[in-house]
Amino acid sequence: MSLDSTLTARALGISRSRARSRAGIRNGRLAFLYLSPALLVFLVFTIGPALFVLYISFFNWNLLNPSLSRFVGGGNYAALLHSSDFWNSIVTSVYFVGATVGGSTVLGLGIALLLSQRGLVRRIVRLAVLTPYFTPLVATSIVWVWIFNPQFGLIDSVLKLLHLPEVGWLQSTTWAMPALIVYTLWHDLGFTVIIFLAGLATVSGELREAARVDGASYWHEVRDVVLPQLMNTTLFVIVITTIDSLQAFTQIYTMTGGGPLSATTTTGFLLYQQSFVFYKTGFGAAIAVVLFVVIALFTLAQLRLSRRAA
Amino acid sequence: MSRHRRFIAIAAVFAAVATPLAASAATAGHRANVTISFMEAMSSGTQKPTLDDLTQNFEQTHPGITIDLIAEPNYGILQQKEQASIAAGNPPTMGQAYENWAAGYADAKAIIPLDNYVNSKTVGVPKTFKSNIWTGVWNDLFLPDGKIWMWPFNKSDYVLFYNANMLKAAGISVPTTWAQYAAAEKKLTTGGNWGESLDTGTLSAPANGTLEYLSIVKAFGGTWIKNGKPTLDTKAAVQALQFLADLKGQGALQVGTNYPEQTALGAGRSAFAVSSIAGYPYMLAAVGGKFSMQVAPLPAGPNGGEGNAMAGTNIVIFSQANAAQRAAAWQFMKYLSSPHATAYWAIKTGYLPVTKSALVYMKSYIATHPYQKIAAQALQYAGGNPPYAWWTQAEGYVAEAMQAVLDNGASPASALATAQQKAMQAASGS
Repeated sequence: MSLDSTLTARALGISRSRARSRAGIRNGRLAFLYLSPALLVFLVFTIGPALFVLYISFFNWNLLNPSLSRFVGGGNYAALLHSSDFWNSIVTSVYFVGATVGGSTVLGLGIALLLSQRGLVRRIVRLAVLTPYFTPLVATSIVWVWIFNPQFGLIDSVLKLLHLPEVGWLQSTTWAMPALIVYTLWHDLGFTVIIFLAGLATVSGELREAARVDGASYWHEVRDVVLPQLMNTTLFVIVITTIDSLQAFTQIYTMTGGGPLSATTTTGFLLYQQSFVFYKTGFGAAIAVVLFVVIALFTLAQLRLSRRAA
Repeated sequence: MSRHRRFIAIAAVFAAVATPLAASAATAGHRANVTISFMEAMSSGTQKPTLDDLTQNFEQTHPGITIDLIAEPNYGILQQKEQASIAAGNPPTMGQAYENWAAGYADAKAIIPLDNYVNSKTVGVPKTFKSNIWTGVWNDLFLPDGKIWMWPFNKSDYVLFYNANMLKAAGISVPTTWAQYAAAEKKLTTGGNWGESLDTGTLSAPANGTLEYLSIVKAFGGTWIKNGKPTLDTKAAVQALQFLADLKGQGALQVGTNYPEQTALGAGRSAFAVSSIAGYPYMLAAVGGKFSMQVAPLPAGPNGGEGNAMAGTNIVIFSQANAAQRAAAWQFMKYLSSPHATAYWAIKTGYLPVTKSALVYMKSYIATHPYQKIAAQALQYAGGNPPYAWWTQAEGYVAEAMQAVLDNGASPASALATAQQKAMQAASGS
């Protein structure tokens, strides 16, 4: 190939690449144009308020008259660090999140394994497990308030029949949180079961069969073949249920109001209480920012873990 | 009273509302057109049509003033909407407000004091009218700066509901002191029944039980605040909480949530229930005609002390309203508190009339609803929410102290000391 033809070919290549690049830019602009309505909504209703929360966390914010707000710098964050209510809420959150995430992962996986086989009964049970997830939190929380009622509730009636002492489930600092966890597991378990069932559908049948041919027991098959292949699904379940649990509010508001004696006041509920009951808006905003950072860090860690697992 | 006669009685009161106000409107000189908005939560049951009636009547008798009612489903939403509208710089002209809400609004310069209107020689109210307002209701209109910031509207207070059949069967007369009440509860706690159920409330949401306890504190000679500071751990407060703890220890008092007093009384399991008179229809529905439910005043304390907690709201005028709107809003507030209008409101809704003279217009109604008079008379000494923004938090600490003692075995003195310490912190703004 002569120099001229080489140069021509290069020039053609450059011009083609430029044309591609121009088309790419044009397509990119078009993509942005198509995305702009959704982006605008996202900016106005999600990013904007989030940035505003960050802004007011540096103020002793007067919700009713912002002009009376006072800049306090990191004062709200310093107050958080010295607030026993905040640290108690962290401990409570760890309790609640640990139990609900652990419970829903283990139980969700177990139930999914039981229900992964075909059959009419299993399909009916699958539907039964999933149904609570689609029920409204407020309505079912109220039903469970009555189930836990010490004088008229189902559970205490059974205890009474068995000549066991009645328990004030939602009134006791010891039992209120377990009661809340039981309700949350009942409500949310269907979601994790469905995710695990979807994960199980992707597990290699050949590998399982090979393990069985090699004489592996069911337990060994699950431990050594199924679980390793469900690693990403399990991580996904853990992250989603952790974020859900950190943001849990409705059942706490309806069933215990954060009590008794703040025994069920998670950090998410404390945020609501400080911001919208006591109107300490700046302090509440600081809690929201800390909660956001915790959730973001956790999500980031999960992403790294899942990449490694992949 | 037959339905027909009741209708005539109500119509007579309503007609009486219209006549004098038509005359006063002519002298008030409201000829310029002005529209005012009233954000309120009187949106359920008979409340909405009654407020509509009164508003319509006011508009007819005050040509040139148009009222735009902005109904909210409940007080929680009402508070959020009022606050959001203030924050957005677009509040209504007037709105319902509890005392502690009003304190927060006044701090933010979002509402105006009403002294200039109340005491005005031309548009104010005469001294006789002021003295006609129940003492408790009148005291409730002021903020700590000594100015009048609110005007009364829908008021209720606490009464003792009881199962008359149960008391009669046990040969117990209606208790008039808390000591008699405790003795009666103890005697009636037998065969799977008990004295009363209450909801202590929580830090975020005090409940009827919190206000029952606060009423007992007053009856025992205690206070809720003094010199602008909380007084939650006084001797009387400790005695009052010990009183409830003793009942709990004897099994005479049960603790629950979601209006347990209503459920237990309605189920025929408890003999008593302390609740707001505004809850009468709900109590009646819970009882469902199974027995005779009667109403008595709250019992008195050891030295005859009377204590009661006032519920219901006042009305405030927001500061963004212009002069014409403020003047029109004051006319409407004054109208709603007039004896005829407040009597009509009480007859139709079950709330209490805010003036004593309204009872004159309610004679036939009271003959068939004697509990209304019992509750109205308690407005003489009932205490409203202390007018401090921090009271919301302090009341929550009271609820927590009750939880600590009644459900978790703490001593009243230590639980109330903790509540007092936290309430002091809230009061100091830290």
